[in-house]
Amino acid sequence: MKSLRLTAFASAVTITAATMAHAKDFDGVELKMLAIGDTSVTRLAPIVDEFEELTGAKVQIDMFPYPGLIDKIVIEASADSPSYQLMWVDSPWVGVLGESGALEDLTDLVKRDAEEIHLDDILPIQLQENTWQGRLLAFPASGMIWHQNYRKDLYGNADEQAAFKEKYGYDLAPAQTWDQYIDIAEFFTRKAGETLAGEALEKDFYGNAQAYSRVAGAITHDFFPIMRSFGGSYWDPETGLCAMDSEAALAAADVMKRLVAFNPPDYLGLMWDIRTGYMERAEVAQSSYWSVRTVRLTNPEEAVLPTVGEAGYAASPTGDGTAQPTMTGALSFGINSKATDQEKEAAWEFIKWGTSRDMMRRFAEEGSGVSQFYKSILSDPDLQEKYPYYKVLLETQDNARRRIFHPFYADVEEIFGVELNKYMAGETETAEEALANACTKINTRLKVFPEDLRLRWINDAPAEIFN
Amino acid sequence: MAYIRKRNRSIFLIFLLPAILVLFLTTIYPMLYAGYLSFRSYDLAKPFVPRVFVGLSNYQNVLTTGDFLHALKITFQLMAITLSIQLFIGVGLALLVTQRLPGMSIARTLLLIPMMISPVIVGLVWLFLYFPELGYLNYFLSYIGIGPISWITSPDWALWAIAIADIWQWTPFIMMGTAAALTSLSPEPYEAAKIDGNTRWQVFRYVTLPQLKPVLVSLLFLRAIDAFKIYDIIFVLTKGGPGDSTEVLSLYIYRQSFTFWQMGVGAAASFVSLIIIVVLITFFFKSLNRDPMQS
Repeated sequence: MKSLRLTAFASAVTITAATMAHAKDFDGVELKMLAIGDTSVTRLAPIVDEFEELTGAKVQIDMFPYPGLIDKIVIEASADSPSYQLMWVDSPWVGVLGESGALEDLTDLVKRDAEEIHLDDILPIQLQENTWQGRLLAFPASGMIWHQNYRKDLYGNADEQAAFKEKYGYDLAPAQTWDQYIDIAEFFTRKAGETLAGEALEKDFYGNAQAYSRVAGAITHDFFPIMRSFGGSYWDPETGLCAMDSEAALAAADVMKRLVAFNPPDYLGLMWDIRTGYMERAEVAQSSYWSVRTVRLTNPEEAVLPTVGEAGYAASPTGDGTAQPTMTGALSFGINSKATDQEKEAAWEFIKWGTSRDMMRRFAEEGSGVSQFYKSILSDPDLQEKYPYYKVLLETQDNARRRIFHPFYADVEEIFGVELNKYMAGETETAEEALANACTKINTRLKVFPEDLRLRWINDAPAEIFN
Repeated sequence: MAYIRKRNRSIFLIFLLPAILVLFLTTIYPMLYAGYLSFRSYDLAKPFVPRVFVGLSNYQNVLTTGDFLHALKITFQLMAITLSIQLFIGVGLALLVTQRLPGMSIARTLLLIPMMISPVIVGLVWLFLYFPELGYLNYFLSYIGIGPISWITSPDWALWAIAIADIWQWTPFIMMGTAAALTSLSPEPYEAAKIDGNTRWQVFRYVTLPQLKPVLVSLLFLRAIDAFKIYDIIFVLTKGGPGDSTEVLSLYIYRQSFTFWQMGVGAAASFVSLIIIVVLITFFFKSLNRDPMQS
């Protein structure tokens, strides 16, 4: 027993000494992070002092809304003397930031510290999400999939089940096809005074909430996953030009148009957070979105739904019900390539600390989890019980494809955002016209570049960290 | 004497130099640089895009794509709505607050408040009022059985929603200018009109309005320049949407420059809009200098 205590004390001394040694390395280093005010950062921001205690480096996190954040990052990246050493990166931005050399290549650092960061435990697609031409430019802080959230309590209600079966001829269950999804949306759209699960509604209840706003291309964030679920692609693999006017894209636009009738009346202004708000306030029957905000549906302090009902989670529907690769995304941390060597080392320490498996588990256990990307956390039975969507996150990423990562992503997001929004608003008559307009505008920008360059931009080279 | 004049001129130049320097750095140089950019391809986000001289292609891009012309149309629509209503209400309020009635000085002060608020704050205030689910406007309208109206998310309403916010903020400007002019009008023509037995409307139409015309034209001219450049309120309320139903010129220029990062195209669009505004100013000046009696 005495020797055990002695060993424990010696270990404690060693850990403290190691920590003190670390402290010497980064004492006096000040890092600033340009970031979003969302769960991938808001969970970490209040505890950054712990990092300073550990390493001596002081970190200041400046949080901004998503719309306009890429503008700030681009301006920051074009400055010769950066104000921010750390940058929050949405994975579609790696193309433009990678091609312009704005982000530090993390490949060698990750290889060096592979064991420490439990590289084998991270879902490979989440790392692939952050690569540009095979080089890792950012490290996941939150791993996402696009999936459906639904009212499990309503779907399980016997009266609702019977009424649904009578009307549509099949059982009420999470939709596997978009036609089923639209049926469910129609079925649950009810006016105030009507009955829902045996109770009279005090206000209108909607079958669905999707993002239709053009602001920051919000509508594209729902349109592209639906397009993907029909088997569509962003780019023509032969020419590197826009392929987002394909049959799959038209089918996706049609799904969104048909869903309009079952959305809240302000659907054209639904941004990500306003749309998820409807689900969180238990005012819609289903809503498909990025899992980054799904965690809120499990927390009564952040959503009404857990107090009045129960959320269920399932993979995204597809065109005909046959499996399609899940659409993934990653919200990540990157290092400004213009930071000094010491700042880069300190920034990498911060990334390792803030995205570590221990930190992610801590968030999950504290009840303020983020959308996870460590296999061991997502497969933990206790955590799966606490966060039922973990199972969907884990299982769907066996067959997954990354989001768009093109250097012209901002153009795609904005142009398709406006054209799709105009179509949904009835300003453009047909989906063909809207998508053709958008593709023409994108292609005008792309055609000035040689074909081999365009093809390089759409090539998803496997991450070199796995070599 | 000549020596003193020469010395004075030197002193003037020394005193003027800081102002000239500031003017050059803040106005002339940026304008010259924007002019230079308008002939080049320059993408701030994509340094790999060659930064070369492209001649007039940025101007061609601006003038031949429908987006610029659409933005111009929306800008003029918004100007027509806001200026006409502001003029109508502003003159009416001016007539009211210049009456010798109790509480008019307090009313005048209160009515000036919107004009003193930053347009971004005005946008936020109206955003809360217009917000579809939680906004006060729909809440009050529901009591009289109207709505809910999708103020800022419907293509039919969005431009009107912006116009209402702009009218709320800038009508006091017309009111203030008109009220000042009303108090300085000479009383003789009114006495003559009274003796002739004119009605109140006839006095206003044939005595007050002609005298106010130069002031009203000046006020409208100033408001027109401001309305042509409207940006903040729209950025906060709709960001140009839904669709492109509220995309005015300033927003179009912003999108070209800071969303697509095509600084050259943005600069060319700025210059085209500068030309339009100069033509507008010339037109207004000409109408201002026209003799009211002749017209």
